[in-house]
Amino acid sequence: MGLGSDMAQRALDRLLNAIEGDDRLDRAGHRLEQGLAFTENLLGITGGRTRGFLHGVWLGHPLHPVFTDLPIGSWTTALVLDLAGQKRAARAAVGVGLAGALAAAVTGLHDWQHTHDHARRVGMVHGTLNTLALGLYGWSWVQRGRGHHLRGRLAALLGYPVIMVSGFLGGTLVYRHRIGVDQTGRQLEPRHFVRVMAEHDLTDKSPRRARAGDVDVVLVRADGRIHALENTCPHLRGPLSEGWLRDGALTCPWHGSRFELSSGESLNGPAAAPVPCFQTRVRDGWIEVRRAPAAATAPPGSALVHQQEVQP
Amino acid sequence: MLTEAPQAPARRERKTATRVLVEHHEVLRGLMRQLRETPRSQPGRRRALADELFDELWMHERIEESVFYPAMRDITPAIAAAWSEHRQLSDQLAALVRADPRTERFDRELGVMHDALESHAHLDEERQMFPEIERFADEELLVDLGDRLQARLEWLRSSRRIRAVLRLQRALLRRTAR
Ligand code: FES
Ligand SMILES: [Fe+2]
Ligand SMILES: [Fe+2]
Repeated sequence: MGLGSDMAQRALDRLLNAIEGDDRLDRAGHRLEQGLAFTENLLGITGGRTRGFLHGVWLGHPLHPVFTDLPIGSWTTALVLDLAGQKRAARAAVGVGLAGALAAAVTGLHDWQHTHDHARRVGMVHGTLNTLALGLYGWSWVQRGRGHHLRGRLAALLGYPVIMVSGFLGGTLVYRHRIGVDQTGRQLEPRHFVRVMAEHDLTDKSPRRARAGDVDVVLVRADGRIHALENTCPHLRGPLSEGWLRDGALTCPWHGSRFELSSGESLNGPAAAPVPCFQTRVRDGWIEVRRAPAAATAPPGSALVHQQEVQP
Repeated sequence: MLTEAPQAPARRERKTATRVLVEHHEVLRGLMRQLRETPRSQPGRRRALADELFDELWMHERIEESVFYPAMRDITPAIAAAWSEHRQLSDQLAALVRADPRTERFDRELGVMHDALESHAHLDEERQMFPEIERFADEELLVDLGDRLQARLEWLRSSRRIRAVLRLQRALLRRTAR
């Protein structure tokens, strides 16, 4: 048991290192992204609502993992049904898996295009393996429909380990590379108002970076108000102060997530999580900020809210 | 003498890669300035300038991506983000050519184009990445890359195939615009 898992661990480690270190994947990756970019621009996805929908902004986390369970679950079921000799049910299970796999491919590509370096390479291999499995299961479905059940089962048997390895790589993308994970630091500081910048240094509509205690914040003056957000993008930690305003929302310079100034909510993705916000005020010509209580961590009556109510 | 003295081929001035790129940034900025100075009442000129910006910025991204960024990957960690920023510029270029130059929407897209370009070319490349590269990469390598960047840019500009592809891209983007 111990020896077996040691060997497995070493083999998987070696696999991951080989993929992450392979810069030959980059050229193909960038070509693919350029193709995707052009397609999304032609279809009007980039600036439209579909963009955020596919990234899972409405869900609060990526939409892709919702679909990945479908092929894995259905194709496992098909395996069992094949063993039990349930031909028609097995074919239906393969079909459901195919539909899920297609949806996972669309959402996966949509997320993948906004990744960097190692994660990008792992994503390439993950996607390639999934395409291979999709092909095998698609062929299996067709063959079963024509009454060639043996061929259909064989293709499924070949596809199953492929989807397992690919699932492992998908897990790596989340747990090792933190793709799709909210990257904000969840700090609570500063709890009291601190000075961050002289008021006259902040001009209209151009984001500025400032330091509030240990936290980098981005300040934006728009519509006669001063807004303060954490400077780090929740997607891959891009610097929001180097971004720009579009229709009154702050755009991340790296992958174009747009955030509402007053709430920090993401409007379009790839970031599905909001940017933490600060309350602002001006005293003696200085802009001061303090952490706005996040709804989830500070319910009414909590210590943080109490503190802020007592010492405004 | 019957034959003229053979002319030496026009030699390019040798420049460092970062200088070549900053000079090309200036070309792009010049186009942006002209665009912003052209009023809505001259839609034809606006459109022609937007086309030129589309092509020139596209070529700028390609020479950086094919020659410069790969050579700098071990010198600065900023390369991956720079690739992503190019993607933002491409998306914004598409939005710009899809906007009708007679409308207020075009002005808005132009404003965002300006901000996105300054964010990448100035805030990221000229203020952070290039100084870091000039400090850590050796001069000879940079001059060498500069030659390759210039040659690549000339080749792209004079290639009929590239021009045709770009024209097709712009036409498709405009045709599908809503
Ligand atoms: S870092 Fe990716 S959108 Fe901000
Ligand atoms: Fe660039
Ligand atoms: Fe550049």
